[in-house]
Amino acid sequence: MDTLFRLVSLQSDQSLNSSRTSSSSRSSRQNLYQQEDEECFNIFMDDEDFSSSSSKHYNPYPHHQLHHHQQHHTASNTPTPTTTTTTGSATPTHQHVYDQSADQFSYSPARDVTLEFAASLSGQNSRWASDILLETAKAIADRNSTRVQQLMWMLNELGSLYGDIDQKLASYFLQALFSRMMDSGERTYRTLISASEKNCSFDSTRKMVLKFQEVSPWTMFGHVACNGAIIEALEGESKLHIIDISNTFCTQWPTLLEAIATRSDETPHLRITTILVSKSGGANGGAAGVPKVMKEIGSRMEKFARLMGVPFKFNVIHHAGDLSELSLAELDIKEDEALAINCVGALHSVATVGNRRDLLISILRRMQPRIVTVVEEEADLDIGVDGLEFVRGFQESLRWFRVYFEALDESFPKTSNERLMLERAAGCAIVDLVACPQAESVERRETAARWSHRLQGGGFRPVSFNEEVSDDVRALLRRYKDGWSMIQGSDSTGIFLSWKDQPVVWASAWKP
Amino acid sequence: MAEIENSASQASGESSFLLSDNHVKSEQSVEPTLPVKKKRNLPGMPDPDAEVIALSPKTLMATNRFVCEICNKGFQRDQNLQLHRRGHNLPWKLRQRTNKEVRKRVYLCPEPTCIHHDPSRALGDLTGIKKHFCRKHGEKKFKCERCSKKYAVQSDWKAHMKTCGTREYRCDCGTLFSRRDSFITHRAFCDALAQESALAQSLAITSSEGDMTKLQVVAPSVSAVVSSPPPPPLTPSTGVLSPVLSIQSSELPENQTAQLQLPPGAAAPFADVATVTASNSSTSSGNIAGNGGIFASIFNVATSAELSQLAAQPPVASYSTMLCTMAGQDQPIIDPMSLSLSSTLYLSSGSSSLYPAALEHPHRHYTPTPQPDLSATALLQKAAQMGATSSNSSFLRGLGLATTPPPDRQDSRNSIIAPSHWNNTTHVKLENSSVASGLELGLPSSSSPASFNELMMNSSSLFGNRPATLDFLGLGMGAGEASTGGFSAFLSSITDGLDMTTSNSFAGVGSTVDTWDYPSDRKPSML
Repeated sequence: MDTLFRLVSLQSDQSLNSSRTSSSSRSSRQNLYQQEDEECFNIFMDDEDFSSSSSKHYNPYPHHQLHHHQQHHTASNTPTPTTTTTTGSATPTHQHVYDQSADQFSYSPARDVTLEFAASLSGQNSRWASDILLETAKAIADRNSTRVQQLMWMLNELGSLYGDIDQKLASYFLQALFSRMMDSGERTYRTLISASEKNCSFDSTRKMVLKFQEVSPWTMFGHVACNGAIIEALEGESKLHIIDISNTFCTQWPTLLEAIATRSDETPHLRITTILVSKSGGANGGAAGVPKVMKEIGSRMEKFARLMGVPFKFNVIHHAGDLSELSLAELDIKEDEALAINCVGALHSVATVGNRRDLLISILRRMQPRIVTVVEEEADLDIGVDGLEFVRGFQESLRWFRVYFEALDESFPKTSNERLMLERAAGCAIVDLVACPQAESVERRETAARWSHRLQGGGFRPVSFNEEVSDDVRALLRRYKDGWSMIQGSDSTGIFLSWKDQPVVWASAWKP
Repeated sequence: MAEIENSASQASGESSFLLSDNHVKSEQSVEPTLPVKKKRNLPGMPDPDAEVIALSPKTLMATNRFVCEICNKGFQRDQNLQLHRRGHNLPWKLRQRTNKEVRKRVYLCPEPTCIHHDPSRALGDLTGIKKHFCRKHGEKKFKCERCSKKYAVQSDWKAHMKTCGTREYRCDCGTLFSRRDSFITHRAFCDALAQESALAQSLAITSSEGDMTKLQVVAPSVSAVVSSPPPPPLTPSTGVLSPVLSIQSSELPENQTAQLQLPPGAAAPFADVATVTASNSSTSSGNIAGNGGIFASIFNVATSAELSQLAAQPPVASYSTMLCTMAGQDQPIIDPMSLSLSSTLYLSSGSSSLYPAALEHPHRHYTPTPQPDLSATALLQKAAQMGATSSNSSFLRGLGLATTPPPDRQDSRNSIIAPSHWNNTTHVKLENSSVASGLELGLPSSSSPASFNELMMNSSSLFGNRPATLDFLGLGMGAGEASTGGFSAFLSSITDGLDMTTSNSFAGVGSTVDTWDYPSDRKPSML
């Protein structure tokens, strides 16, 4: 943390060289965390800390923080985080000797700031992370670097990747904000991605995705709805082709295969073409990981289709670059096959610049599908570049990721590695949103209303899910913990999965 | 039922591991090929002399069309209405069963596109055609609130409701699922699927090498609920997939039959050692597994009498698949009785009173064989391991009591392959205990090999075209959609539609097996 603030100060001096500073105090801390860390996250910690250590200057010693924070919690009502490290270099302008009764030995470099959030921090149901983070975003928009430094100092003290939801939000958003200030968003993003891809295997992916499905309807919701719509739209066809642009690793298809196999009419031939997008700019950031996983998944799909007795072909198309540059020729679309296009999280992975999103929709339209199923997370995460636009988008991101983290929190056990992976992925997305240029962003979600508008503009009309599908979805939700429900979209444009009355996932079906 | 086929034809050797064979073949082909459809016997091959009756959809769908004029209560049958009228002190008359020969009636499905619309494929009973029509052409208006499965026939739905949610899906990897779709998804991604195909391969190879005669009976899946008698579900979508009862029998050497305590009436010696593995479903590996992997026990079936006993037991042990392996004369080191097959009894009822019987035969205790991989005990342990958490604890208890596995066998997890090394092997796979009761029905005819073949053949023709592959998932297992009624229907159809009852019937079974390779052929079209 002193490292962090050295960095910030340096930056204000316009003499930043982040690579130089990142390792300054690493060795001494390494010992520290080995001693301190008796937590259950050892394995993950090691993975992460060693694989991506080179660029971890933004938040180098989460264990240290954890330790701190637990102290802080046990000390309960002291709103001030206790700092045991006092480095001269850390924001010298705001050093106050703290009141003796509050703490025995501690500086607060930003007492006014901590007092500002005292109520928030001590409140029972407080959302201190959102409060502080939002203030930080405002300070950034105002270019008030002193305040930014103070707030970030607080966030760094309070946040932890392994704490409660607020600590996690603080930690991930701080990372993103810091990258933004350092103008190192893309590099941070790449590092995070390659770190996660290094750990990405078929095993870990499978575990994560299936576990997520087991505990939460987040992805299953879209699967059930889309499969229902696809099966209905392709009813009676003898040759089916599904173009799959999704981020759920084909976990949607076994149940579809099973449904097809048990259809009362003749079992149709099924071809699934999965499009795997690798960002052209990001280049080989661990590019081997995902394709390898997809290959394994493909062979599972084939095996399973054989088991189910469905004549089946599985193809993976590697598409480098933006989805809006997808060419029809790549897809091997055949006249005699009934085509369905399944887009789960696909639309938002197209950058918002230009009219790329509309372009993609027009490409989908040109494929002449029987049906297009669209699943998107319901949020408006088009974070502006600067000023108020930025603050507004940042606020929405805070809202969205809090909901997401809360949903994860209530679904997974505390110490689940799968949950940690999902949170990490969310952390990546946060960096993408907050710190990366719009043209590179693959995380900018839009609301259902906006997508509907785009799709209708692209020549599609909404198809409502039939009663049966709705029933299936409701039956699905009943099996999970309380808090999940289904809401009909307005104007028959799809359905929402809602978590504690907040719509979180939108599923819809469209026909040309 | 238990009966020995003498021969050991190579051809029949392949049929026993029908699933595995299929699997191996499909492994080899890069993609599923669409094959030439095989002709096979299909359900509904009525007696040509029968009176063909075509009922309108309305009549078929009509429920309770016999209505009491007093209270408006409806009845499905006139007989029932008459009995009801008696309560109102109205004149009533029960139709007397005439002793005159009644001309057999068969019924057409009114749906013109349906295969059973053709008089040559009419179905043999009124209830059957009604249910067929509802299931295949009717609206599925009965919906399970828990799992959202839908049924056209209320009794199917009721049977389902009795078990829905109470049952867990178990993958071979040991993971339990309470939700069907989670299980399906998991199954597709689970390593067990890949491993099974490898295992299946080895099974197939060893089995074809072996000198075995195998029979394959595909019987309707039956639910644990004996009291509800809906026939086996007709559409795979109901989730009941074709359970497989496969019996591989081989003749015993004369010197061993003496130990078998065969009832005098038994026409053929039953194989002396049978290893029975019960599982709640079958899987792609054919003999192993299913819904939850091997879920039960391995035990000896010593005699056909025991089998009948088994059959007579109440089908407590629902959705279990039994795999009987009979050790042959080539393995004299293995005491044929070693696995103490009295546990058949557990299979059927789990009743402890039957148990002591097993213990009365200490001489049957297992003698370790020199080859660890042939160890029956290891096989047993494997089953016990896999079944350890199964809900069907009665099996396990029985198993546990019956066995004292030598410690040195602990590691032979793979020894499930062992039975295939035995030369004479009998595999009995029962979907569940209702099938067991089916066995009981079948027993009278099992006294002659021919009739056994008959049973085998018929059933394979009946059910061979069902999408048995689906069943490997064990999805539909014992969901209560089927019952003993289905089995008796099955039996009666046996007598109807046999055209292959000869001794080479095994080859015929084998050909049924071949059709499994062809996905397009697997549409269930029975009834």
